[in-house]
Amino acid sequence: MAYWVLQLLGWGFYFYAQASGEVIFASASWEQASTLWGSVCVAGIGLTHLLRWFVKHHRWLSLPPTALLGRVIAGTLIIATASYVLTIALSQEVYGTPVPPITAAFYQRLSFSEQLRNLYIIKVLLYAVWIAGYLAFAMLRHRYQSELRQAQLGKALQTAELRLLKAQLNPHFLFNALNGLRSLIADEPVRAREAVTQLARMLRYTLASGDEDLVSLERELEMVDDYLALESLRLAERLRIEREIAPAARTVRLPSMLLQTLVENALKHGIAPLKEGGTLRIAAQVVEKHLVLQVVNPRPPEDTKSPSEGLGLRNSTERLRLLFGTRASLRLDLSQAGQATAEIRLPL
Amino acid sequence: MRVLVVDDEPLARRELRRLLDAFPSVQIVGEAGNIDEARAGIERLSPDVVFLDIQMPGGTGFDLLTQLDRVPRIVFTTAYDHYAVKAFDVNALDYLLKPIEPERLATTLRKIQSPASSPTAAATDAPLEQLFIRDGPRCWFVPLREVSVFSSEGNYVRLSWGKERPLLGRSLVSLEEKLDPQRFFRANRSQVVNLDFIQQVELGEGGRLYVQLRDGPEIEVSRRQARLFRARTAI
Repeated sequence: MAYWVLQLLGWGFYFYAQASGEVIFASASWEQASTLWGSVCVAGIGLTHLLRWFVKHHRWLSLPPTALLGRVIAGTLIIATASYVLTIALSQEVYGTPVPPITAAFYQRLSFSEQLRNLYIIKVLLYAVWIAGYLAFAMLRHRYQSELRQAQLGKALQTAELRLLKAQLNPHFLFNALNGLRSLIADEPVRAREAVTQLARMLRYTLASGDEDLVSLERELEMVDDYLALESLRLAERLRIEREIAPAARTVRLPSMLLQTLVENALKHGIAPLKEGGTLRIAAQVVEKHLVLQVVNPRPPEDTKSPSEGLGLRNSTERLRLLFGTRASLRLDLSQAGQATAEIRLPL
Repeated sequence: MRVLVVDDEPLARRELRRLLDAFPSVQIVGEAGNIDEARAGIERLSPDVVFLDIQMPGGTGFDLLTQLDRVPRIVFTTAYDHYAVKAFDVNALDYLLKPIEPERLATTLRKIQSPASSPTAAATDAPLEQLFIRDGPRCWFVPLREVSVFSSEGNYVRLSWGKERPLLGRSLVSLEEKLDPQRFFRANRSQVVNLDFIQQVELGEGGRLYVQLRDGPEIEVSRRQARLFRARTAI
């Protein structure tokens, strides 16, 4: 929009200045002058528009300065030459001489060939000014937009990080645990103190874990045990736990919070929604140079798989893919009614 | 004030009990650990107030409300689901965040006890005053005196309530039994109208009547019902 306004204003002014100048200083008729300069200006709009298309289509604004300068000079010379040839031809047609009367009047002391040369120089200058103005405007806009995009990007990134942190802290669990603790303090102070320690250890572990961190299964199981101890306070006899950890598996290193995510999912979507609760089974063994982790839990019959479950597992799958490529796998088996089995295979 | 505590976590129930013990006016009549127990408890004990957890095994607190005929005064207790409470159009509802602050609990109880507070479930034979309705993702407490027409749609009932048209998951016949007969009138096989909303009545052919409702449609009163209608409204 701004482009067309400026384009029409600029060429309109140029047309009026040239045509009226020719009438006043070279005693040409308005009809002749407007025919010549009107055509020159329409052609000028076309030529510059073509140049603009090149600039946009070939992304000149993203080029390094020297490359841009070369292209700008070449472009200017080409369209200036085209306009020059057209002006001479039209002038010949309208006035019977290749030099337009206004140019002749302006440079009346110069020879004919010098007048022609100056006409060419004027054309080059005219288009150089055009392209300089255009590029200045486009670059300002380009910079403004990329700054805006940068700011939006930064904000989106922050939001994503915050959301991730929130999900890791599991606020629903945290506030319920604190509520349970409040009750425990009065009734069973010894267990309450123990629970505070477990919660503190869990939080520290969660906050310390990064995406690329590998920890031993032993260490991850400590976190899972703290978590399960706190959930047992809430779920009481509804949560039963079975562990089967092969000694050889304990030292294997795995991404931190990986097993924890599976266990949280098993409780949140499997056992907690069941009135009678159920048994959570965690198994770890080493099979054919792979660590095989299994989390098995009962689940409600009409499995309405909530989007958050998908998200947690998707994040874990993505982490495994980034760390181990195709050598690791995570799959959730829901083929058996009323049971969910999550299995992770990791290379040793 | 008779109170029922509904939470799936024994520790949370114990904590709430302890907090409520500080208020002499509160009498805890029972506890429930899931929504089936809660429904049975509400029907048996008809408490004035229910402290209701949202996430529970076997169904959420919202599920419970849709199953109830008479909804007592509800105070949601939630660890982190208050966004869910706010997101729903559950008007006139309180929620407390766990761990519950004693001062907040006191404020809530004061609000419930104030005479301006909305009526709670009265005697079981009194007509229904309000309904809890969930239609898709939205929930409402609908004050029945604001509903102009109940229209039967198969086994469901569509309410005309202001701009909303929520669908209730029960039949018109079973609902009609519980409505206030002073206010609601069966106009034809599939519609019950609120007499307060009638603006104009026109005589039709064969003894039928046409009733124009405020900001609403024209309802046809069948011949059989028209006689009753005349007797009721003395036209």
